Amino acid sequence: MGYRIMVIDDEKIVGDMAKLSLEQEGYEVETFLNAEPALARLKEEKFHVVVTDYKMKGIDGMEVLRTVKRDYPDTTVIMITAFANLDAAIEALRGDVHDFFPKPVKIKELKSSIRRALIKENAVA
Amino acid sequence: MKIEKKLIISSVINAAFIVLVGIVGFQYMNLVLTKLRFVEIADDLNASFLEMRLSEKNYFLFHNKETLVEIQNKIEQTRKTLKIEGNDIVRAIGVSDLRGLEMRLTTYETAIILAQGRAPQDPALESSIRTAGRSLKEYSDSITQLERRRVNEIILGSKRFMLYSFWAILILSLLISHYISQKIVRSLRGIEAMTKSISGGNFNRIEGLQTKDELGAVVSAINSMSEELAHREEQIIQSKKLASLGILTAGVAHEITNPLNNISMIAQTYDEMYDKLEEQDRKSFMQRVEAETERIRKIVKNLLDFSKPKEAHPREADINTVIQKTLMLVQNMIDVSGIETSLQLHTDLPHVFVDEHQIEQVLVNLITNAVQAMSEGGWLVISSRSHNHGESVEIGVCDTGKGIPPEFVPHIFDPFFSTKGDGGTGLGLSVSYGIIKNHGGEIRVESKVGVGTTFTVELPKYSHQDRVNNGSESLSDRTQLNKELV
Repeated sequence: MGYRIMVIDDEKIVGDMAKLSLEQEGYEVETFLNAEPALARLKEEKFHVVVTDYKMKGIDGMEVLRTVKRDYPDTTVIMITAFANLDAAIEALRGDVHDFFPKPVKIKELKSSIRRALIKENAVA
Repeated sequence: MKIEKKLIISSVINAAFIVLVGIVGFQYMNLVLTKLRFVEIADDLNASFLEMRLSEKNYFLFHNKETLVEIQNKIEQTRKTLKIEGNDIVRAIGVSDLRGLEMRLTTYETAIILAQGRAPQDPALESSIRTAGRSLKEYSDSITQLERRRVNEIILGSKRFMLYSFWAILILSLLISHYISQKIVRSLRGIEAMTKSISGGNFNRIEGLQTKDELGAVVSAINSMSEELAHREEQIIQSKKLASLGILTAGVAHEITNPLNNISMIAQTYDEMYDKLEEQDRKSFMQRVEAETERIRKIVKNLLDFSKPKEAHPREADINTVIQKTLMLVQNMIDVSGIETSLQLHTDLPHVFVDEHQIEQVLVNLITNAVQAMSEGGWLVISSRSHNHGESVEIGVCDTGKGIPPEFVPHIFDPFFSTKGDGGTGLGLSVSYGIIKNHGGEIRVESKVGVGTTFTVELPKYSHQDRVNNGSESLSDRTQLNKELV
């Protein structure tokens, strides 16, 4: 199954490493350094999962979450953040985020989370 | 106790003088009274003697024996008077003169008595009566005159004495009080100058006023208080720095999370995909790890630099560089607060002569205050420009926050003044003020409630004089220099 995953984080390494690891699982991965081109891309192509950083310059993670949930309700959003902050987590949860990972991220856990999300998506679909 | 002692001594001296003069005056008075008393008595006596001599003449004219009896009675009376007033008389003229009087009186009496027993017209008798009478009268007269003259002399003398001693006392007490008060006023002026300079933030000792009296004690108390204040100021700077360290540390911790995450993700991927990676990729991974650790090192160093207590080590610098470095320190705080930043830094600014760390601390303080005054969506404008035809450089920190009420504005740089319940971050405006002052600059504020606040820091440009002075760390030379220029 050609599941497409989008990774948005202003740290280049995050995207690079995530791409390498996730492609091992057979996903198609596209990475972005900020949210604007990412959201534009979403208009062109369906993505099953969007992994986004919480705090970025310009459009931040919460806005990505809101946009995706509004325009692409089938798409799962997972947040990663340097902010280990309860308020941020609650805010994201209320925004219907699927999962929330404080940095440093354990890639294995990220993969599990993505897997669960896709199962859920398939079940719903 | 020196001054107190001096005051007591001088009061005692003055009092002693006055008492002395009083005593002498009193003595004079007594003397005059005594003499006058005698003159009174003498007048009476002389009147009696006159009567006696008149009676005498009477006798020689009419040879009436009763006249002689009259004279004798008078002589008796006179004797009585001399006895009664004996003390007063002696006090005035002395014992020997009194005896002289008594003697002549006796001689006269003897002559009179003899005359009563003899035939009237005995020329020898008459002549002896006359002689005795004359002698008595003349003696008495001369004494009286003498005493009168003495009284005059005494009055004159005491007048003169009073006058001189009045002037002497007046001048003496003026001199003494002038001398003492001069000392006190001089010391007090020194103390006043000292306290003025201390409240201006200049904690230098005052020398040259160390006397061993009460004022000396005050001066040395002020000196040690001044030292204490200088210490406290250092401590305040340190503790405020530590408080701001709290905020900055949180920011730094956050900043470190990203490089750490990067290293972690690289390591995880390296571990998981070791076999599938080409050697070039593996090497590249490790290099990227190294780059991330370098990133962490810089962040930590920034923080350490900020927290070091330092003496001012000024050098030539470009103010824009300092501003940029400061922004690195506070970037996270700004991001988190949802505030937009705008940088308006002019290029080609003249260099300044500053201790970069201290200026960074001031800017952190101002930016922190600005951020805290605003809620999300506010604007922070940081600007730099040259001022006064290139003689100085101005840095502006402008926010669109809640502003400072006009009644607080004049106090905003006061030590310990705070409008927030000291969640005090940054150094506090009073310390910032002190730092800028030490650099020979100025820090000003304009604010409007509900609109925003602008802090302006003006720093003098780097001059060749600074290079010459650069051996010493003293920025206070610069303060002096600028005072002369302005």
